[in-house]
Amino acid sequence: MIGATFEAIALRWDGAAQSDPPSDPPSDPTVDASGLRERLEALSAAGVHVVLVSEGPPEETQRRLQARPGGPGTLHLCAERGSTLLAVTGDGSAPVPGGGGALGRLATFFEDRGVTGGLTLVLERGRAPGDATVGDRPPPLTDVFPRAAVVDTGVAVDDAGQVLSVLDEQLTRRAERRVPQIDQDPAWTVPLPEGRDHERMAEALATLSNGCAGTRGSRGEVGPDAAPLFLVNGVYGADDHLLPGPLWTGFDPTDPGLPGPGQRMLDLRGGTLYRFGDDAGALRSLRFVSLASPEAMALRAEGPASLLPTGDPLRSPSPSAACTFERRGDHYGARTGDHGSGIAVAARERVVTSGDHRIVERLATWSADRTGAARLDDAYGRLVAVEARGFDRSLADHRHAWARRWADADVTIDGDPAAELAARFAVFQLLSAAAAHGESAVGARGLTGTGYAGHVFWDADVFVLPALVAIHPAAARSMLEYRIRRLPTARAAALALGRSGARFPWESAGDGSDVTPREVTGPDGEPVAISTGPDEEHIVADVAWAAAHYADWTGDADFLAGPGRPLLVDTARYWASRVESDADGRGHIRGVVGPDEYHVHVDDNAFTNVMARWNLRRGAAFLQGTHGADEASTWLGLAASLIDGWDPATQLYEQFDGYFAHEPLLMSEVGTPPMAVDMLLGAERVSGSQLIKQADVLMAHHLVPEELERGSLRPCLDFYEPRTAHGSSLSPAISASLWARAGDPERALGLFRMAARLDLDDTTGTTADGLHLATMGGVWQALAFGFLGLAAEAGTLVVRPSLPAAWGALALSFRFAGQPVRVRADADHVTVTCRAPLTVAVDGEGPTRCPPGTTAIRWTGARPTGERR
Amino acid sequence: MSPEQPTHEVLAALDASAAAGAVLDTAVRVGRLTDSTVVAVHVRSDPAVPVDVVASLAEERGIALRVLDGDPGPTLIEALRGPEAIAAVIGGSARSVRPGPGACRVSRTILEQSDGPVVVVPPDTGPHQEIRRLLLPLEGSEASSRAVLDQLVPLVATDIELEVLHVFTPATVPPMLDQPTYDLDTLGKAFLSRHCPGASRIEFRGGGVVDQVTRLSVDHHADLIVLTWSQSPSPRHAQVVRGVLAASSLPVLLLPVLAVAPVDPAPAPAAAPASGTITLVHR
Repeated sequence: MIGATFEAIALRWDGAAQSDPPSDPPSDPTVDASGLRERLEALSAAGVHVVLVSEGPPEETQRRLQARPGGPGTLHLCAERGSTLLAVTGDGSAPVPGGGGALGRLATFFEDRGVTGGLTLVLERGRAPGDATVGDRPPPLTDVFPRAAVVDTGVAVDDAGQVLSVLDEQLTRRAERRVPQIDQDPAWTVPLPEGRDHERMAEALATLSNGCAGTRGSRGEVGPDAAPLFLVNGVYGADDHLLPGPLWTGFDPTDPGLPGPGQRMLDLRGGTLYRFGDDAGALRSLRFVSLASPEAMALRAEGPASLLPTGDPLRSPSPSAACTFERRGDHYGARTGDHGSGIAVAARERVVTSGDHRIVERLATWSADRTGAARLDDAYGRLVAVEARGFDRSLADHRHAWARRWADADVTIDGDPAAELAARFAVFQLLSAAAAHGESAVGARGLTGTGYAGHVFWDADVFVLPALVAIHPAAARSMLEYRIRRLPTARAAALALGRSGARFPWESAGDGSDVTPREVTGPDGEPVAISTGPDEEHIVADVAWAAAHYADWTGDADFLAGPGRPLLVDTARYWASRVESDADGRGHIRGVVGPDEYHVHVDDNAFTNVMARWNLRRGAAFLQGTHGADEASTWLGLAASLIDGWDPATQLYEQFDGYFAHEPLLMSEVGTPPMAVDMLLGAERVSGSQLIKQADVLMAHHLVPEELERGSLRPCLDFYEPRTAHGSSLSPAISASLWARAGDPERALGLFRMAARLDLDDTTGTTADGLHLATMGGVWQALAFGFLGLAAEAGTLVVRPSLPAAWGALALSFRFAGQPVRVRADADHVTVTCRAPLTVAVDGEGPTRCPPGTTAIRWTGARPTGERR
Repeated sequence: MSPEQPTHEVLAALDASAAAGAVLDTAVRVGRLTDSTVVAVHVRSDPAVPVDVVASLAEERGIALRVLDGDPGPTLIEALRGPEAIAAVIGGSARSVRPGPGACRVSRTILEQSDGPVVVVPPDTGPHQEIRRLLLPLEGSEASSRAVLDQLVPLVATDIELEVLHVFTPATVPPMLDQPTYDLDTLGKAFLSRHCPGASRIEFRGGGVVDQVTRLSVDHHADLIVLTWSQSPSPRHAQVVRGVLAASSLPVLLLPVLAVAPVDPAPAPAAAPASGTITLVHR
């Protein structure tokens, strides 16, 4: 007994067998292949992929086997050596086109479907010590399927009995709906922290989402330490907080004491949450929120019946939530929501109990309405479709979808597995944050918790979106759609202030109005005003920047010419009405808050003014040559007049008017960053000092380096970094990116690690309430724009690597100008893989026109000595 | 416990000093807070000394008087270790927690050797209402949390308003606060869940601990300040207790911890969320 269920089986079959027994059956059962054929066809029907590897040509194997698999699992035949790969179906067999070794191509075929080595079972003859034939034998199948489970089929050429019994066990496990396993590849799995003190943190880390809906990774046996949650993107309640939906993952054990035994693991590659354990009383379960069918969710669990009670599979999100329940035969339904929005969940459960052992399979679907009551009928209808598909096939679809998603998003860091895993975790959560269609409101904590109420900040526009533009462009587009659909509200907000154009709010929820808290209660019971809502206006330019970056990176000119245009033009119009010109014709933007929120109500914040200037220029470009040419000319004049704080004598940008006159306090005099230094020293002291919360001037270097003086990055880094408390989760990754660009990748690496581990280590103490998506976006940007030095310049992909010594190589997969690209940089080469011709410029050298395929471009490998724009 | 006759006792250490009346009045309030009988305990080293003054003080307030003979400090400690004694109320000041010889020897002995809660009544404490609102500064150490759980929670009625105060230090200040309104709410829930699940709310402050304790106790109309302490009068370990006793006119309930409580780093991730409101103030 193997005791595990596999998605693929690779079998060496050297039988000189016939498909049908002759009229006089031989006494040797190994020559009868009918048993094998039947099982292969049954495995195919169960969704299992099988490959038979034989000494002889695969056509001969099929002639003898006569298999007719009907799918959905595939059957392939190949020789141990050679390139012929035969795909066998119910209609016959046909060679699979392509070059290279057959087994290698087959492994790729499996991996493209999310069936990696750890989900594969290999049956082949073992190798005895001192085996004299080792040298003549082909390499083991585990070379092709690493981490595969192996069954030694014995020293005999064919131990058919053993092979058939292994296959029978797989069929039985499928029929019994046993919990599938995951590929526990340490490069792709995140073990979750255990213990009551870490329960809510683990839930957040293990959130499963497809960008449309998300479920926190709560245990089924929810206890007092848990905060289970199901959310749907963009569905807010009357309080402008994301509306919790009915819970679908819970069980109410008869003994609600400590959680049942078992470890939990998040499978990043397959997008599943897996629970397992060696203890006889351990629960095993696998759960997913489908990427292939966005309204579908499913779990299977098995273990002691006392931990898996039967009954209504749905729960209210909280005792006080308004949640209604109903039942229609085997289908259960529940609905939450009031005052114009709602979430409905339908579920069906199948239970098999044998003695004290129980297996539960639960399928669930959801429907939601942002403006009205959710329809349970819709959820029921989707549930019927998911039932028809079945758990196993839905899981296969889900894994396949994730494999396709990762093909455009993978990160590999040679020599630093911890950084690689942390980066993959960040990418996983980014890929889960936004839908590939419609609109996506990506809150500061996404769908991973109630923190920040699901409200949308600049986190979405300049931290998350740039990553998704490259690794999941459709999701980036849906994020922009969220802003586009709230332009009317933004225009009204500008008008209410007596200004023109569109003014996006600092903090946004369902209808796009400003939901920034206005005040907090002070110690004397009196309200203390919060200034970010009225004054942190750089958000207006951030939204415009996001739209422009999307278009520049993807090459989607239709977007800016069409629906994206007002995001550039109306925002520029706002700035034109916001700039105040003094008697000398200099432009000012007064009374703002920049990214550094330690200093409020300042004049001429460099970041705000530089972004406004960029916005005006970019917006003017749309109007030039049209009836708006005069307005464009005005905008360009205002842009040129704007004070940006540049001081040629010091080669520095002054963060805001009067900043240099503040107390020259350094972080080295206070403590080691990161530190919320305002909590320690008091807001008054900090606001009177040069200490800053996060990159402010440097944020301009990150987003719009072309707007700044060449050569100013390093002086600004040297000046502002010692004054930066990194008291914001948004900060370290940006600094990492900039230090790498400035030619100091070692310094960048420390900040990168800080950012990459932020939620995995719960650095802030707030991970329990949700993951920091902006930090994750920053992590990807540090890799892409910092360490790889990627940039889009007029359709050319620029690569300027700056790798720390600990990294042997860094490779990113992403999409650029409409095609998938992979860029790998090591000490002396930049290797580019693309599907269509692509112009690449490496490290300031002349551009290289890369043909489809893989091109290695030599580079000096020297650390950049100068600043990179 | 019989509703007619509580079996727990609050022992008020009574002498004939000017502070005796305030000690007894506070003991009466503590008795109501803990649903306990108040017993005044007077220890005389000389049995010939008359007790009519202390007897009169006790009788005025309807409090039973228990007269013991012996060395006051050790005798009171012995009385506190009786099975029904749950807390002591004594007169004291900052000098009561200062090392070395001098006045307040008896109060020092009680504070350093008591196994349970002791309420210290400052000499300048004024008349107060019923004890409904407790202010509990916590630094976030496991030892202090254990002292609160083991000694305070069983002591007080469940409808008492318990406000926790955490004053950030360089070791406990959060590394990052993106938007304090939201993040402090999360941190507050985590802190309460781990250190004081029954609290009504938590306040975060920066600055000097004594100053913040004193100020908040006035601003939020606390009736009693609760402090955990190591029972070590050495300068390093009793600074906050001395400072609060010197600066505040409120009675202070001292809970002994089992070991010296170092200043812990920032609170660990949350368990169950606690109810309550979070207020942010920085001065």
